[in-house]
Amino acid sequence: MSRTLEASEIHKYFGGVKAVQGVSLTLETARIIGLIGPNGSGKSTLLNVIAGIEKPTKGTVTVDGRRVDGWPAHRMVELGVAKTHQIPKPFLGMTCRENVAVAMMYGSRREGEPASALEESRRILAMVGLDRRADAPASNLTVQERKRLEFARVLATGAGLVLLDEIFAGLSPDELRDAIALFARVQKEQGFGALVVEHVMRAVMILSDFVVVIEEGRKIAEGSPKEVVEDPAVIEAYLGSEATNVTP
Amino acid sequence: MKWPKLRAIGPSLWGIGVFLLVLGGLAPWIPRFPLTILVNLLIFAALAYSLNFITGLTGYVNFGHVVFMAVGAYTLGYTVGTIRLHPLGGVALGGLMALVLALGLGAVTLRFRGVYFAIASLVTPLAGLNIVLVLPALGGGQGILLNIGFDPLSWFYTIWAIIATEVGLTYWITHGRLGYGIRAIKSDEDAAKSLGVNAPRLKLFLFALSGLFAGATGGVYAWTTSGVFPEAAFDLTFSLRMLAMIVIGGMGTLLGPLIGAIAVYLPSRFFLTIFIGTESIIIGLVVIVIALFVPGGIVGTLRKYVPELRRILE
Repeated sequence: MSRTLEASEIHKYFGGVKAVQGVSLTLETARIIGLIGPNGSGKSTLLNVIAGIEKPTKGTVTVDGRRVDGWPAHRMVELGVAKTHQIPKPFLGMTCRENVAVAMMYGSRREGEPASALEESRRILAMVGLDRRADAPASNLTVQERKRLEFARVLATGAGLVLLDEIFAGLSPDELRDAIALFARVQKEQGFGALVVEHVMRAVMILSDFVVVIEEGRKIAEGSPKEVVEDPAVIEAYLGSEATNVTP
Repeated sequence: MKWPKLRAIGPSLWGIGVFLLVLGGLAPWIPRFPLTILVNLLIFAALAYSLNFITGLTGYVNFGHVVFMAVGAYTLGYTVGTIRLHPLGGVALGGLMALVLALGLGAVTLRFRGVYFAIASLVTPLAGLNIVLVLPALGGGQGILLNIGFDPLSWFYTIWAIIATEVGLTYWITHGRLGYGIRAIKSDEDAAKSLGVNAPRLKLFLFALSGLFAGATGGVYAWTTSGVFPEAAFDLTFSLRMLAMIVIGGMGTLLGPLIGAIAVYLPSRFFLTIFIGTESIIIGLVVIVIALFVPGGIVGTLRKYVPELRRILE
């Protein structure tokens, strides 16, 4: 089933701080949209607004034509839109399987029986390479493993549209290569659409079908990864002179 | 939701079940005086189980739990005193009134988290007391004196049925899909929400259950004391004692409230009354020590350090 999420003219103000000022973007099944911009440019805020964690000050969000802005996060998940946290938030007292099982029982799959959800969790953990840690308490995981668990939980909700907040941050070059390959493989298998907020340019360049650049809450460029990195406005605002060295 | 198979039911539930059945079977032969002590103990256990629904399972510390007890007690006092309702009807209505209050209160106060919820909960008994004091229908500062006789066996079976229901519900909630959602909320509420857990509704459900059973138990309490008195009904130390019971027994566990109730009630009944006032001091000290050094309480700590007991104790 193909799905479309449209965010149009999103504004989000925190008192006098105008974090997002009129950004629009479209997310569709099986497409990966990269969202980049300097620190504090409003990327995470935009993601939170779309995921229902924050309410937009102005602007609309629709999923398959239906207005959903202002919906609470748990209803967005039921609808099939789920987000990872920038800083992983595992349920520390639970095992990895139980963490994933929660997402499976409360996400859009609505798996009703804990026993079958726990069984199915193994498959999802295997998908992200955490199968050996399935019965370990989440508190024992390393930061990288926690990021994978965060991703596994979002997959387990059954979301067709996922919002990923810096899942590639803080990895060594080798880990990054593995993570990108893993993500690309899982995305191909599952066919979800993803909105990826990322600082790691290599990941954005390789994975994205389309890139949106924002600065100080406004969209300054969009297009294919190649177009975007060659855009003078982007180079000046964000990438600086070193951008010419970035190879996809 | 399927019913769990008998074979699959954990030893803790079997244990409590057998304990309650034996107690229920023996009750008619227990002399009156020990029976009243047993009823009092069970009242505390029922209160501890009711608080366990919200504070034990979600970690939301409710200092105002005594309000639900007071509402139940006043409902029984009023309905039995004015329209001569049977006390059992008073108990049921008391539970219902407390449930309604919990839904109203919870809709507002459960928006607060952590210590803010605890502070908000502290206000409700104070407000409740001052409201009752100006209501002549509820006896104002005098309270309500009832003349409903001394009937320990009826008290016993009523409170017995309340506890059995609470234990069954606790088991059902913690062992199903709901249990996972609740553990997720207790661990990280924001993360739970972003995985689809409707945290506000789930918390309100538990808060309402907690109110329902505390209200019904408050009704039984008023029945046993043949009256309701404002200062006693809204006594904050009741809340603290219930908290002490679940902290000592083990928050959120199936056996914890019962063990905690026994551990707090029996010593305070027999030993601590020797020196007036020492009771609260000693309970307070025990709670501090447990909270600091063995946060799992009796049940949680045994589970942690004795692996053989992990399959048995819940």
